[in-house]
Amino acid sequence: MVHTDNLVKHFRDAKGNTVKAVDGVSIDAKPGQIFGLLGVNGAGKRTTLRMLSTVLQPSSGTGAVAGFDIKKDSQQVRASIGFMSASTALYGRLTGMEVIRYFGELYGLSGQELEGRIDFVTEKLKLHDFKDRLCDKLSTGQKQRVSIARTILHDPPVLFFDEPTAGLDVVTCQAVLEFIEEAKTLGKTIIFSTHIMSEAERLCDQVAVIHGGVVCGSGTIEELKAKTGHQSFERAFLTLVGYKGGQI
Amino acid sequence: MKSAVGVVLKKELREMLRDKRVRTGAFVMPILIIVMLMGVLGFVVKQVKEPHNTKIYVVASSSPIIEELKKQKLTVITVATLDEGKALLKSGRARVVLEIQSTTAESLPVTQINAYVDPKEQQGQMAFGAVAGVVQAENKKSLQKLFEAKQVPAAAQEPIRLAKKDLQVGSEQNAGEILVSLLPYLIVIWAFYGGMNIAGDLVAGEKEKATLETLLITPAKRTDIVLGKFLALATICLASSFMSVVGLALVAIIKLPGTAELLGKGGGVTPVAAVFILILMIPTAALFASMLIAVSSYAKNAREAQTYMTSMSFLVVLPGIFSQFIGLTEFGTKLWINGIPILNTANNIRNALLGKTEFLPMLITVALSTVLAAIALTITVRLFQREQVLVRV
Repeated sequence: MVHTDNLVKHFRDAKGNTVKAVDGVSIDAKPGQIFGLLGVNGAGKRTTLRMLSTVLQPSSGTGAVAGFDIKKDSQQVRASIGFMSASTALYGRLTGMEVIRYFGELYGLSGQELEGRIDFVTEKLKLHDFKDRLCDKLSTGQKQRVSIARTILHDPPVLFFDEPTAGLDVVTCQAVLEFIEEAKTLGKTIIFSTHIMSEAERLCDQVAVIHGGVVCGSGTIEELKAKTGHQSFERAFLTLVGYKGGQI
Repeated sequence: MKSAVGVVLKKELREMLRDKRVRTGAFVMPILIIVMLMGVLGFVVKQVKEPHNTKIYVVASSSPIIEELKKQKLTVITVATLDEGKALLKSGRARVVLEIQSTTAESLPVTQINAYVDPKEQQGQMAFGAVAGVVQAENKKSLQKLFEAKQVPAAAQEPIRLAKKDLQVGSEQNAGEILVSLLPYLIVIWAFYGGMNIAGDLVAGEKEKATLETLLITPAKRTDIVLGKFLALATICLASSFMSVVGLALVAIIKLPGTAELLGKGGGVTPVAAVFILILMIPTAALFASMLIAVSSYAKNAREAQTYMTSMSFLVVLPGIFSQFIGLTEFGTKLWINGIPILNTANNIRNALLGKTEFLPMLITVALSTVLAAIALTITVRLFQREQVLVRV
C-alpha cells in the first residue's frame, strides 16, 4: 500500500551546497500494519513523509501510495491519504466544525456524503460540546480531536502520523495512540514517524531507523533488538544510529 | 474533482472578516481617516473664509482707515507702540501689525501704512491680503471722487476690466477642489494598505503555523488554492479602497461643519464617478493583491512578509502622493501618464471626480493594470507551485 524504492531528496542551501535530506530510503508498508519511521530530529523522516504525500518531489527513486505513483499521480495520492502532526495548527478564527467542513470540501466531499461523514466523525470523536467554538478557544486535547477528525473525514486508506504526540500531555497522548491502534484494526495502512521509542514498541509492526537520510536498520522491533544484541529497543536504536557516549 | 477556488475563497473571507486587524485596518480606518480629514479641512476652510476672525494689530492711531478695516469685519486691536506690536508678532500672538503714519508726498497729504508680517506665516499673509484689499478699495474710491470732480467718463476711469466667470465642467454635482486632490490618493493607497494587514497571514502565516502543509496535502490543485486566496485578498483590497467613498457619504450625511464646499453639491462622488472608480479600481486591487500574495508566498514567515510589504508600500505611496499635485502640472492631461501604473489610476479617478471622463485614457489604464495584475498573478502561481513555498533551506 505504501512503497518506496531508493527515494532520494537533495536540497540546495543558501550557499549553493547540496544537502542530502533523504538518501536512498526504501520502505514497504501493508494494509492493517503500522510502519514506524524512527530517527532523531533532522534524520529525514519528515522529508520522506513529504515526498510520500507529494508535497515535495523526489530527486530520484520511486514511490507509490495506495497504488498511485507519487510522481505521476500526485492528486490521487493526496486524495488517498490523511496526514496528522502535533505541530500542525488549526485555523484559529474558524470553529472546529468549519475547519472539518473546509477540509471535507477540499477532499471533494459534498452534499449528503459530506454531512454523513461529518456526523460520523463528530460522534466518533465526541466533538458535540465544542465543535462550534473557535479553534483558538479550544484546549490542546480538543484541538487534537478536531485534527484527527480532519484527518479521517474523507476515510483515506493510508494515514501518515508525523510525531503526532509531540508536546501533548499524557492523557491526550494516550487518546491519539489509541486512535492509531483503532485505525490499524480498520485495515488502514499507517506510517508513524516518531523519535519516542516506547511509542514505536507499542504500535509498530515494522520499523525503519533513519539517520542522516539513510536507512540504517529495518525490520520488526524484535529483529532489530536481536541484530544489535540489546534487550532494550532504545539501546538498539542508539546503536543503529551510531551513538557513542554523547556523540552520534 | 471540482475546482477548490470557491472553497478557499469562502474560507479565507470568513477568516478575514473575523480578524480584528482586517475590520479595523481595512474598513474602520479608511472611514475614520476621511471623516477626520474632512472635519479638519472643513474647519480650516471655515476659518479662512470668515474675515471677522482675522485680527489686525494697529499701533495707536486716529486714521479713518481703521474704521474702514472694521467695516470689513476685521478685528482691530490697538497696541501702544510699534515695539509692543513687534513683540506680539515674534511671540506668534499677532499675525500682522500696522503702523499708520500721516505724511506728505508731492505737497499732498498721504497715509503711509507699514504692515509688519512674518513672511513664513500663512495666516500673516492672509491678514495682509485682507488689509491690502481694504487699502486698494479706499484708493479706488478716492480716485473715483477725483475723476468725478474732473468729469472723466466711467469707461475712461477703468479702460481694462477683468471679470471671473466660472464655467461648469461636467456636472455641478462634482466634487470640490480639495477633495479632487485628496480622494484619488486615499482610494488608491487604502486598496494596498487594507490588503497588507492580512496578506502576510495568507501564505507566510500558514507556513509559520504549519497549516499550509495540511492544505497542500489535500487533492486541491495549488493553482486553485492560490487563486482562492488571491480573490479573497483582492475583495478586501477593493472593499477597503471604497471605504473612503463610504466615509465621504458619512461626512455628507452628518453634515460636518465647513465640508459642504469640499464635497460639492453631489456629496463628493456622483454615481457616475463611483462607477468609473469601481472600473478603475478592480484591476488595481487585483494588481495589489497579486503583488502582496507573491511576497507572502516567498517569505518564510509573516514577519518577513510584513517587512517586504512595508518596503513595497513606497511603490504605491509615491505615485499616490504625486497624484495629489498633478493638478498643478500639465501632466494630468497627457496620454502618456496613463502608462505609469498606480499614478494612472489615481489620475483617472481625479478626472472622474471632476466629471471629465475620457474613454481612451481609462481604457489604457484599465488594460495596463489588468496586464500587470495578470503578470504578478502568474509569478505568484509559479512561486506557489515551487517546493520552496513550504521548504526554504
